[in-house]
Amino acid sequence: MADAVRTGARAPATDRLTLARLLRAREAGVFIALLALCLFLSFATDGFLTSLNLLNVGRQISLLGIMAVGMTFVLIAGEVDLSVGSSYAFSGLATGMLIIAGWALLPAIGVGLATGVAIGLINGVLSTYGRLPSLIATLGMLSIVRGAALILTNGQPVTVNARNGALPEVLQSFDYMGQGYLFTIIPMQLVFFVIIAALAWVVLSFSNFGFRVYAVGGSAKAARVSGISVNSVKICAFVLMGLLAAFAGILSMAFLPSGQAGRTGVGLELDVIAATIVGGASLSGGEGTILGTIFGVLIIGVMRNGLVLMGVSPFVQELMIGLVIIIAVGIDKWSTRRTS
Amino acid sequence: MTKQQTPAPIVEISGLTKRFPGVLALDRISVDFRPGEVHAVIGENGAGKSTLMNILAGDLQPDGGDIRIDGRQATIPSPLASRAAGITVVYQELALCPTLTIADNIMMSDMAARSAVSMVPREAMRREARAALSRLGMGKLDPDTRVGRLSVAEMQLVEIAGAIRQRARVLVLDEPNSALSKRESERLFDIIRQLRSEGVTVIYVSHHLKEVLDLADRITVMRDGRTIETLDNDGLSEDRLIRAMVGRDLNTAAQWSLQPEARSDGAPIVLSVETLTAPGLDGLTFHARAGEILGIGGLPDSGKDTLGEALFGLCGRSGRITIDDKELRAADPHASIRNGMALVPADRRGAGALLAMSVANNVVSASLPRFSLAGFMRRGAVRSEARAQVARLDARISHLGQKLATLSGGNQQKIILGRSLVTSPRVLILHEPTRGVDVGAKAEIYAILRGIAGEGVAVVMISSEIPELIMNAERVLVLRNGRISGELTGSGINEEAILARAMAS
Repeated sequence: MADAVRTGARAPATDRLTLARLLRAREAGVFIALLALCLFLSFATDGFLTSLNLLNVGRQISLLGIMAVGMTFVLIAGEVDLSVGSSYAFSGLATGMLIIAGWALLPAIGVGLATGVAIGLINGVLSTYGRLPSLIATLGMLSIVRGAALILTNGQPVTVNARNGALPEVLQSFDYMGQGYLFTIIPMQLVFFVIIAALAWVVLSFSNFGFRVYAVGGSAKAARVSGISVNSVKICAFVLMGLLAAFAGILSMAFLPSGQAGRTGVGLELDVIAATIVGGASLSGGEGTILGTIFGVLIIGVMRNGLVLMGVSPFVQELMIGLVIIIAVGIDKWSTRRTS
Repeated sequence: MTKQQTPAPIVEISGLTKRFPGVLALDRISVDFRPGEVHAVIGENGAGKSTLMNILAGDLQPDGGDIRIDGRQATIPSPLASRAAGITVVYQELALCPTLTIADNIMMSDMAARSAVSMVPREAMRREARAALSRLGMGKLDPDTRVGRLSVAEMQLVEIAGAIRQRARVLVLDEPNSALSKRESERLFDIIRQLRSEGVTVIYVSHHLKEVLDLADRITVMRDGRTIETLDNDGLSEDRLIRAMVGRDLNTAAQWSLQPEARSDGAPIVLSVETLTAPGLDGLTFHARAGEILGIGGLPDSGKDTLGEALFGLCGRSGRITIDDKELRAADPHASIRNGMALVPADRRGAGALLAMSVANNVVSASLPRFSLAGFMRRGAVRSEARAQVARLDARISHLGQKLATLSGGNQQKIILGRSLVTSPRVLILHEPTRGVDVGAKAEIYAILRGIAGEGVAVVMISSEIPELIMNAERVLVLRNGRISGELTGSGINEEAILARAMAS
C-alpha cells in the first residue's frame, strides 16, 4: 500500500483539471474557435445572442449532429461511410410511407431504423470480410440505397398527412417528434441530439467497446495481437452509423413532414464528414471525440446562422463553410506537426 | 556453481523448414530455448534469423518440421496464438497504437479479455501500467502520455512492459538496440537480466557481437538458413563467432573469388566525396574511379542504408560531393541526375519502380525531356530506346507494354538498371542490387554491372550480401557507426575481414 502511494506521488499530477491541461485537451482548438466565433457574432449582430435564436441553431444542427456522432465512431475505427445521406433518405421515406399506409408509430419507426441497421451491416461486412476499402464499399452503397429509395417511392414525393391516409393519433405523435418542443421551448430534435450525444460520449470515452474502437483505428495490428476482433468492432461502428443516419432521416421526415427520394439528403454525407473532421477526428483513424464532434457541428451551425443574420448571400455562405473546413483542419495538422 | 540438470526447454524446434519462391529460407533448423536463459541468435544477413522469429510470432507458417512448446507439439497459426502461448515478439516496427496512451497500450490485452459492454477502469489501468513501468525502472513515465509522442526507445520499453504484464514466458527482441542510445541500451540489458532471473526466456537477435557476449547464456549461429551450432557462452571470443558465421574453409571460399580483372588504378577519379555527413553518416571521405566497382558493406545500422540517398540528394546532407570536379548541390536529385549520377534504390516496390506502368515507360521515366516533344511522348523513340535496353540487359518480357508488376524480381531490376543507363550516368549507385532476385538473374546482373564499369562508369555497390561484394568489387569500404572502419582491396577482400570490420568493437 505504501508503495502504491509512493509511486502515485512520483507520477505527475495528471488527474487534476488544471487550466493548462484543459488547453492541451484535443478539443481545445475547436472550442476556442467556436468561442471566438460566438463572441464575434454577439457583437456583430443583434439577433445572435438571444435564447430563441440559440435554440433555433440547436434545432438546425441536431440532425447533422446525430449523424456526426455516428460518423465519429466510424472515423475513429479508421473507416469512412459515404452512404449516410442515402440511408437518411431511405429510412425516412420508408417510415413515412408506412405511416401513410396506416401503420402505428413504433412499428413504422422500427422498420425505418432496421433498414439503417441493415445498410450499416452491409457496409461493415463489405469493408471487413469483403476486403473492400470502405470508401469504395460505401460509395457503392450510396448509389444502391439512393436507387432503392427511388424505386420504393417511384420517384414521387412522400408527404405525411391525414389526407394521404395517416392515422390522426399516429400523425400527432410523429409531428411532435419532429416539430414539437419540450417545456414549450426546447425543440424535440435538439432533445434527441443531446440524449444521443450523451450516450455516445459515455460509450466512446468510458466503455470497453469505445476503447476497442480507438484501438482498432489506432493500429489494427496492435489490436489484433491483443485479442481484439478488429472486424466485429468495425462492423459495430458501421451498424451504429446506419442506425443513427436512419433515425436522423426519420426525424427529418417528421419535421418537414415530406421527402423526395431524388432530393432528400443528397450530399449530406459530406456535411457530416466535414463537421466530424472539423471536430478533430482523423481520416486515418484512432482520433476524435464526441465532444470535439459536437463543437465541430456547432461551428458549422453557428457559422451558417451568423452569416444569415448578417445578411450574407447563401452563395458566399457555402464558400465560407469550405474555408472553415480547410482552416480548422489545417490548424490542427500544422500544430501537431510542430510538436512531433 | 555446480553443474545443474539442464531444465526442460520451453520452446523446442526441430527440422523446421520454410521455403519462399526461389529461396530456401530455413533448411531443417533445430534449436531449443530454455526457461530463464538469454539466448542470442546471430548470423549474417539472409541467414534466416528473421524468418525464424516471424514463425515464432505466428506471422509465417513453416513448410515442415516440428515446434514443441512445453514438450507438446504446437502450431502457431496467428499472432494471437503466439501471444496466447506466452511468446511476445518485439519488432523494430512496433505493434503499438500511437494514438492511445501508454496505459491503454500496456493494458490492451486485458481490455480485450473483458466484456465489450463493461466500463473501462481507468484508475486501475493507470495503476497497473505504472506498476509495469516501474518494474522496468521507468516509473517516471506518465502513463497518460500518448505513445505517439515517445521516442522509439521508449516505445520499445512500453511494448516490453506490456509483454511482461501478460506474463510472457518467451520474449523475442529482434535487433532491439539499433534505435537505442548507449544509456538506453544499458537499461535494456539490465531489464533483460532481471527478466532472466525471473525465469523468462529472452531470445535476442543481434548483430552486435560484444553485447551478445556480454549478455547471452547461449548463442546460436545461423548461416544460409541452417543452424550451424549452439554454443555455451563460456570463453568465447568475437573471432570465434565470426568464424562460425563465415564457416567456409578456404576451399569453398575459392569458388567466389571471381575477382574482377579490370584494374582501374590510375584511372581518373569520377566521384569524390569529402566529409559527407547525413542522418546515420558521420563525415565520410572517399572516391571512386572510372571503371571501378566500389563495394560498400556494413551492418543495417552502420549508415550504409542511407548512403545512397545521401549521395543522390534525397536527404539533407553536408560535405562536398563532386562528379568530374563539378560540385553537386545538396538535396537536389535533379542536379545529381544532370551531373551524371544515377541511383538504383533498394526498395524496388516503394521507390524504385513504377510497378503499374509498362516496361517502355519505366525505361524512359528518368529521362522524360529527351523523349517528349511539345509535351507529348514520342512513342516511337520511347519504344526503340526501350527495345535497345531490353536487348542489352537481356530482360525477359513478353512485350514492351507489359506492366512491370508482372515481371520477376530479376527482370524488374534489369528494367530499373536500364532506366538508369538511359540517363548515361558517370556514377551509378546501386543499393542492394540483387535483393529479391533469384540466383540465375543475379549472375546476369553482375555481368551487366561489370560491363557498365568497363565502359568507364564508376559503379558504387552498396550491399548487405558479402559474397556479392567479394565477387564484384575491386575495392570495399566497410562502414560502422556512420564511419569508414576499413578499406579492403584485392585479395584482402574476404568475408572474415569484412565481418570483422563491420561487427567487432
